[in-house]
Amino acid sequence: MSNKEKKWFSLNLKNEKKSGGCGCGKTTGSCDSNTKELKRKDGVDQVFDLKMDRRSAFKKLTASLLIGAGAVSTSCSVFSDEKSKEKAQIDWEEQFKGNYKLMTDEEKSATVDRLVRSYQLRTGKTINMSSKNAEKDVLFGYAFNISKCQGYMDCVNACVEENNQDRKSQMQYIRIHEMKDGKGFNFNDADDNYYHEVPAEGHFYMGTQCFHCDNPPCVEVCPVQATWREEDGLVVVDYDWCVGCRYCMAACPYDGRRFNWSKPEIPENEINKNQHYLGNRLRKKGVMEKCTFCVQRSRNGKNPACVEACPTGSRIFGNLLDPNSTIRWVLENKKVFRLKEDLGTEPKFWYFMD
Amino acid sequence: MRNIIENLPLKAVFLGLVVLSGFYSCQHGEEGYHGVTDRIKAESKNYHGTSISSEKYIGHLKTLEITENGITFLIPERKGEIKSYSCTECHTKPLKKMQSEDIKKAHWNIKLNHADDNTMSCVTCHNGNDIDNLNSITGNSIDFDKSYQLCRQCHQKEFKDWTGGAHGKQISSWAPPRASKTCVNCHNPHSPHFESKWPERYNTQKVKERK
Repeated sequence: MSNKEKKWFSLNLKNEKKSGGCGCGKTTGSCDSNTKELKRKDGVDQVFDLKMDRRSAFKKLTASLLIGAGAVSTSCSVFSDEKSKEKAQIDWEEQFKGNYKLMTDEEKSATVDRLVRSYQLRTGKTINMSSKNAEKDVLFGYAFNISKCQGYMDCVNACVEENNQDRKSQMQYIRIHEMKDGKGFNFNDADDNYYHEVPAEGHFYMGTQCFHCDNPPCVEVCPVQATWREEDGLVVVDYDWCVGCRYCMAACPYDGRRFNWSKPEIPENEINKNQHYLGNRLRKKGVMEKCTFCVQRSRNGKNPACVEACPTGSRIFGNLLDPNSTIRWVLENKKVFRLKEDLGTEPKFWYFMD
Repeated sequence: MRNIIENLPLKAVFLGLVVLSGFYSCQHGEEGYHGVTDRIKAESKNYHGTSISSEKYIGHLKTLEITENGITFLIPERKGEIKSYSCTECHTKPLKKMQSEDIKKAHWNIKLNHADDNTMSCVTCHNGNDIDNLNSITGNSIDFDKSYQLCRQCHQKEFKDWTGGAHGKQISSWAPPRASKTCVNCHNPHSPHFESKWPERYNTQKVKERK
């Protein structure tokens, strides 16, 4: 990563020892001849040069001071070792990193590297995190066959495991609604918590999750732009930029978004270590999350976990721009519909029947 | 009369503006499309494929390429998956001889639960004189690898949906080249119905989630 592009302030704790006699870190020349680097706006200037009201200024100051105090205390302490210094450095840089949406590719991979290293320092275990961008000429779409789904819930199991969802609160991205035949799509009368053998006589099953709208209202309402629509149509969340206001949850007409009411708990041996920054990496308390069409899988060409797990073939996933894809065949040959089409949200999730 | 002529160019300009604005208003939305359907139509016009391929995920499978209803795709080969194939390895003599010499019940674990007795029996699909191949209704030989040709005789609607991709499952990857499971990868041909069972897990109780 080139220093010119840096958008955060570095403590450079690791380089401390290498520096020469004077404080500026130069071994030759005078300390007055400042490098260009100091004139450039880094993370701190970006934050503090902005005009802001007292309240948010105080908030930022307090947060930064806390992190800073931690970092300084570790770095100055005689007892702390290299590892905790590195940890403090990572925490500092993570605190002042920008919004993922605005990052360059180098910045994206830098934050991913920091998160991987941070996890390694904390747990001693290695994870694999990707920052893979959207592929050109790809627009992801999904189709769900309501005559095929039997309510087996294999999809939900696969989703929870793949996406490192909180096991304690049983948060799930997918809901399967059991609906009575002949009553239409009535979500108020649907049974979301059925407890019997499936399929039940006289019922059909309808799955909902994030529909990755092409005109997503959740993105519109986010006050901090922590959620956006990617080029391949995925609506994603930067968990580190989300402030947890839950506006998006209220704005979503499909109940597609989930909130971490408590710290997500996953047994260490069940953590899926194949992660994506915008996908299944570990979340914290107080942030939004939702289905990402398994961005860590789909951007590599794999089907989302729910599609792979479904034993009935109710779930079809693919590239809407590829005229030969199966999803396109479904859209062009079956009688498809979407939920609440009149809202103009343009979901990329179609339902169809045999 | 004079008045009308004087106003004519003005009206024409106005009409033109209305028509023009009509054209533009259809292209609203995030990136100038009226809806996602229009976007798909427009953006897939110049589609030349992507760098993403399914080969990484299906490369280890033994597949064969088939073309049905004008659609070409891969299906897993079947004969290698059948444990006791080929049949003639055990059935060294013609079936008729075996029946007469030593009456041992074979394939006792197979119970036919496919359509009713009037419609189907073993010989609807199997041919006693050519046991290494399947047998169409008209008596033509069908390779075990292409058993879908047997199923399509009755299940024509399912077959059409399967060739397009609306029935069945694409294997592992959404990307081309497409490999789809064939009928017998999901359905047991002797008992093709999906059984009812307890769900793998239960739905979140929304009330609990909020506690």
